[in-house]
Amino acid sequence: MDNDIAIKTENLTKAYRSFWRRKKILALDKLNIDIKKGEIFGLLGPNGSGKTTTLKLLLGLIFPTEGRAFVLGKTTNDVAVKNRIGFLPEESCFYRFLNADEILDFYGQLFKISRKERKARIDRLVEQVGLGFARKRPLRQYSKGMLRRIGIAQALINDPDLIILDEPTSGLDPIGTRETKDIIVALKERGKTVLLCSHLLSDVQDICDRVAILDKGKLQISGTIDELLSSKDVVEMLIRNLSDEAISEVETFVKEKHGEVISVKNSSDTLEGLFLKIYAANINNSKTDV
Amino acid sequence: MQQILIIAKQTFKEAVRNKILVVFVILGLITICCSVFMPVVGDGNEKIRIVESMCFRSITFFGTLAAILLSASSIPTDIENRVLCTITTKPVQRTNIIFGKIIGFMYIIGVLLIIMGGAGYALIKFTALKQSAQGSSELLAREKFDPYTSQVTGESARKIGNVSWIEGGGKGASVWKFKGLHSKNRKDSLEIEADFLVESKKRSTRKIPINIKAVNPYTVKTLTESIEVSRNKPGLLKLGGEFLGGSEELTIVVSPENPGDFIGISSDSLRVFFGNKSFEYNFLKGLTIISSQFLLMVIIAVLGSTFLSLPVNILFCLFIFFCGNITDFMRDLSTVINVFETHEHGHGISTVLKKTNVFVVFLDYVIRKPLFLLSYILPDLKNFSVGKYFVDGINIPYKTVFVSFGYAVLYAFFCLPISFVVFKRREIA
Repeated sequence: MDNDIAIKTENLTKAYRSFWRRKKILALDKLNIDIKKGEIFGLLGPNGSGKTTTLKLLLGLIFPTEGRAFVLGKTTNDVAVKNRIGFLPEESCFYRFLNADEILDFYGQLFKISRKERKARIDRLVEQVGLGFARKRPLRQYSKGMLRRIGIAQALINDPDLIILDEPTSGLDPIGTRETKDIIVALKERGKTVLLCSHLLSDVQDICDRVAILDKGKLQISGTIDELLSSKDVVEMLIRNLSDEAISEVETFVKEKHGEVISVKNSSDTLEGLFLKIYAANINNSKTDV
Repeated sequence: MQQILIIAKQTFKEAVRNKILVVFVILGLITICCSVFMPVVGDGNEKIRIVESMCFRSITFFGTLAAILLSASSIPTDIENRVLCTITTKPVQRTNIIFGKIIGFMYIIGVLLIIMGGAGYALIKFTALKQSAQGSSELLAREKFDPYTSQVTGESARKIGNVSWIEGGGKGASVWKFKGLHSKNRKDSLEIEADFLVESKKRSTRKIPINIKAVNPYTVKTLTESIEVSRNKPGLLKLGGEFLGGSEELTIVVSPENPGDFIGISSDSLRVFFGNKSFEYNFLKGLTIISSQFLLMVIIAVLGSTFLSLPVNILFCLFIFFCGNITDFMRDLSTVINVFETHEHGHGISTVLKKTNVFVVFLDYVIRKPLFLLSYILPDLKNFSVGKYFVDGINIPYKTVFVSFGYAVLYAFFCLPISFVVFKRREIA
């Protein structure tokens, strides 16, 4: 297997049968994908498309009906390779009677990380995911977003080479979403490989190098974001301070050159952008007040 | 090993923080304390026996209940809550998860056993002290000796199964020989307990007099006593330890006094008690045997939890616990059904009808054979029954402790590999 490949699947198939072994549900149908080391790969698709099934197969939680998968060069039933993997499940399910420090310590111990190193990592990760204020609170008192954050922290406790994230921004507020995206990008900058699956397309578009779209268990398309989204016969220009007359002249010029103006409208920010601007402004104001 | 202990610690922490352990401890303590208020007909010793019996029954009941509920629910709940989904993505062998859980459960049950055992012991001591103030109290752990040979001499009236019937008036007698009777203190009391079946031609008689003749083959010293025995109350003859006079052998001859009176004897109808062992050690041995039963139930519940859902697993464990206590009955029932359809004397239903009867086939294949098979496959929980030792004030032999522990370990030896294989193949979705 190529050393640059972090995940490889060969005709990976998962079929579920009913109790009496009659009805066959094909959750994943002959999936072939290669994910390179150091890239952020997005797995997209509607509900029930086979995204989570793929992740579970890669992690050895369920077993393929046909085909095989390799993770970091090893088969999925190799326990040792899990030392290099971090996983965030779709629902953050932990022992709710533990607090943030305890749950991270528990997972850290499973990786046989030394006590000193565990403590340092826990301190860093708790601050990184913004839970420093609630680290001694039992998880049963956490909101969904806070559980998501602690989920991300536990996925990173072993400083993994491959991070598998199932709906990482689900349940997070826009700031949490932005911070999570920043963490993922930072991981990539450190040479880590990230596989994330989501149905929030804007999140995927923002950070992924390559994506694959699944539907009804089948791979529909895969490639880089640019390859999939760019349309070579349409040009976008963003111009500031242009008068109405100047706009008319530009339109006339385009027609003279046999071009077609599709739409002319004022540029608008995204809601996420607006939210983050307001949040940043509030923080600045409170700092000035202090 | 490190991972196993981490999971065990986590399992224990879960039980403590979810207050499951506290609930069991409180309920157990309440039941133990209630034993003091049990009405007793009899002397002070009877009261102590009741408290001892209640203590062990409470510990057994709540310990087994805790073992079943905790072990049967832990893995299915972790799968249901998807906690295992996260743990199994870490570099942990699934066998380590099972081992960790089992050790965690035993840790929980150990704490339960220490708290309830401690409270039980304190209560027994308190009751004994209280009775002592009233003039009668004994915390007994008598050393029991079984005969190495027993035979019926003279005219034996009849023999049914294992029971030989002897008629009185010099027509028959039973001779029991004991050896290895030793005690640190030779002045310890030597007791002979006769627990016979009783019949009499005089229908109104419930008690019959019997003669017990004790012979010391070493000194040729003989002692003959007449005592009364009835079906439900064993006769007790107390001799001084000095009767043995340094010998470790004893011969006892028993016969009903009057003609027309019969006693039915089997191999364990006559027992000799010589010497009183430490009650504390006996109590600890009792707790060890009970904890072996808990280990067994935990192993079975964990096995069930690897492939069954939570409610089904609890039912499965309760079924095993119930049937495990009646394996003898199941075996007897299967024998009775077999006798019912025996062809030995040509009186079977099929033989009489001269063709195969559907009812008989049903009885044989659906009830008798499964019953017979189950009675051998299911654990025989009678091996862990210690109540009888404390009710009779008998010292538990070390052999019994080792046998019960070995039985639990042997069962674990067969069940654990099955659990590992099933859990390894289980999809955690």
